[in-house]
Amino acid sequence: MSLKIIESCVNCFACEPVCPSKAIYEAAPHFLIDPKKCTECVGDFDVPQCASICPIEGAILDALNVPINPPGSLTGIPPEKMAEAMAELQAH
Amino acid sequence: MELPVLNEKSTQGGCAASSCGSSDDQLNHLSDEIRAKVQNHPCYSEDAHHYFARMHVAVAPACNIQCHYCNRKYDCANESRPGVVSELLTPNQAVKKTMAVAANIPQMTVLGIAGPGDPLANPERTFETFRRLSEEAPDIKLCVSTNGLALPDAVEELSKHNIDHVTITINCVDPKVGAKIYPWIFWKNKRIKGEKAAKILIEQQQKGLEMLVAKGILVKVNSVLIPGVNDKHLAEVSKIVKAKGAFLHNVMPLISEAEHGTFYGVMGQRGPSNDELQALQDECAGDMNMMRHCRQCRADAVGMLGEDRGDEFTLDKIEDMEIDYQAAMEKRKVIHQAIEAEMNSKRAAKIEVKAEKLDTRPVLMAVATSGQNVINVHFGHAKEFLIYEASPNGVRFISHRKADQYCGGDTSCGDGESVLQQTVRALEGCEAVLCSKIGYEPWEILENAGIMPNGEHAMEDIEEAVMLVYNEMAKAGKLDEVKQRATA
Repeated sequence: MSLKIIESCVNCFACEPVCPSKAIYEAAPHFLIDPKKCTECVGDFDVPQCASICPIEGAILDALNVPINPPGSLTGIPPEKMAEAMAELQAH
Repeated sequence: MELPVLNEKSTQGGCAASSCGSSDDQLNHLSDEIRAKVQNHPCYSEDAHHYFARMHVAVAPACNIQCHYCNRKYDCANESRPGVVSELLTPNQAVKKTMAVAANIPQMTVLGIAGPGDPLANPERTFETFRRLSEEAPDIKLCVSTNGLALPDAVEELSKHNIDHVTITINCVDPKVGAKIYPWIFWKNKRIKGEKAAKILIEQQQKGLEMLVAKGILVKVNSVLIPGVNDKHLAEVSKIVKAKGAFLHNVMPLISEAEHGTFYGVMGQRGPSNDELQALQDECAGDMNMMRHCRQCRADAVGMLGEDRGDEFTLDKIEDMEIDYQAAMEKRKVIHQAIEAEMNSKRAAKIEVKAEKLDTRPVLMAVATSGQNVINVHFGHAKEFLIYEASPNGVRFISHRKADQYCGGDTSCGDGESVLQQTVRALEGCEAVLCSKIGYEPWEILENAGIMPNGEHAMEDIEEAVMLVYNEMAKAGKLDEVKQRATA
C-alpha cells in the first residue's frame, strides 16, 4: 500500500514536510515515495497529505496507479480547453 | 494614413490623488520614521528605485495555495514575471549568492524572498536564509512577500530576524470574489476549495496584516488587477488595508499569456489596459499611497528594478568568487552614503519648473532612463520607459511600460511585429518621448504616430525636463483643447 510520485513532479518540496511517515524524499529527477514507509496516511489523516498539497495534476498516483488529482481537478482548467490552447500554440 | 495612437481617448483630466502635485509625493505624507526605513528600498520608495538595487533568492519552492494567475510547472530563462526562476537555491547557496551580489553590486540594499512558491510555506528554508543573513550581512535589508495564509503563525519569527518590510498579496476581501481567483488552499491538513477556501485565506491575510502593524513592521499590499473579477472591488480593498495600517498599495496588471498555461491564460481572461490600470490606481490614490513603479520581477531577479543581472551570479559563477564581506561592507557603506548625499543634494537643488498656463490639459510623456533620475538612455536602447503626467498641477510619475514583450528574444512569442512597432504601441497615449538620443527612422515613425520625439534634454532631471516640454507644448498651442486631443 503506497502512493507514487511520477515524472510530472516539478520538485516543489511541498509534499515532503507534510508526510507523517517521512516516506517522501528528494531524488533526481524528482521526489519519490518510499513504498515501505508510505501508509497513505491511514491512521494519521483522513486524506493523503502529499496528494492534498501537490499542485500538479496527475503527479501522484494511488496504489492502483490512478491519479489522485486528475486533469482539471486542481487548476479548474477543463482538459479539452487546455488541449485546445496547447494545440493553438503549437500551430504558431 | 491611419494613426491609431491618436484615436485613443486622452487620459482623464484632473487627479484623484489627494497628494497630487509633485511627483515624488509618494512618500510626502509618511512619518519621518517610515521615510527613513524606505529611503533606500527600491520597492518601497519610488525615488530610491532610481538609485538602489534589489535581489530575490529563490529558496521557497513550496506553496500552500493555488492562484489562477500562476502555473507551478512553468520555468523560462527569458521570462520576467513573478513565480519564475532559473535555479532553486538552498539557504546556504542563497547566503553565498547574496553576499556575492552585495560585494559586486554595492547599490544592492535589499534582499527579498518571494518564491517561486510562498516563502512562509517554506518556513525552514526561508528563516534559515534570513537568520544567517541577519548575522553575516547585517547591512542588507531583508524583506519577504507572502500570500498571507501562513502569515499569522510567522509574525513572531519574522520580527526576530529584523525583517521590517513584508508584502502581502491581497486580491480581495470578499470570498465570492476570492473563489474566482483561488481554486484551492491547503489548510489544516486538507485541500479546501471554493468560497470556504477564500474566506479562510482572507481572514488569515487580514489577521496577519494587523499583527505585523502591531509589531511596527512595514506592510505593503500587492493586488493583481483582474478585469471583470476584482476591478470594481480593489478600491474597497485599498481602503480596508489602509485603515488597518498598510502603508503602500501596489496594484499590478494581471499577466495572462496563454503560453504561460495558467487558468487565466488558457481561459482567455485578459489583463487590464494601461488606462484601466492607471484609472484604478488614481481611484485608490485618494485614500492610499500607491506604488506605481513595480516591475513584477522574477523570484530570482538581481539588480536595479527593470534590469536582471541574475546571469552574472549563477551557482557555478558564485562558486568561484571569493568574498571578503567585511571589506565589501566598508565599501558599500561609503557608496550608500555617497548615493544618499547625491539624492539629498538633488532634492535640495531641485528647481521646480512650474506650468506656465493653468488651463491646459494633462499630457503623458515617456522617458528613457536607466536611473539617477535623469534622461540618459538612447531611444533604441530603452528596454522600458517611465511614464510621467504633466499638468498645471505639476509632474507626477504614473507607471513604467516595457518596450519589448515580457518574453524577450524568442521569436515564437509576440505576433511578428517589429520591436520598433511594439515600442510605439507600448507608448500609446503618450504625446512625447524624452530620450538622450534618437535615430532618424524611429523619429519619423513616432512623429507619424503622434508622439513627439525629444532628445534635447539628455542628462537633465526628468521632472524638470518633462515640465519644460509641457510648457513648450502649451506655448505652441497644443494643449488648449480641454476635452480631447485632435483625432488626426
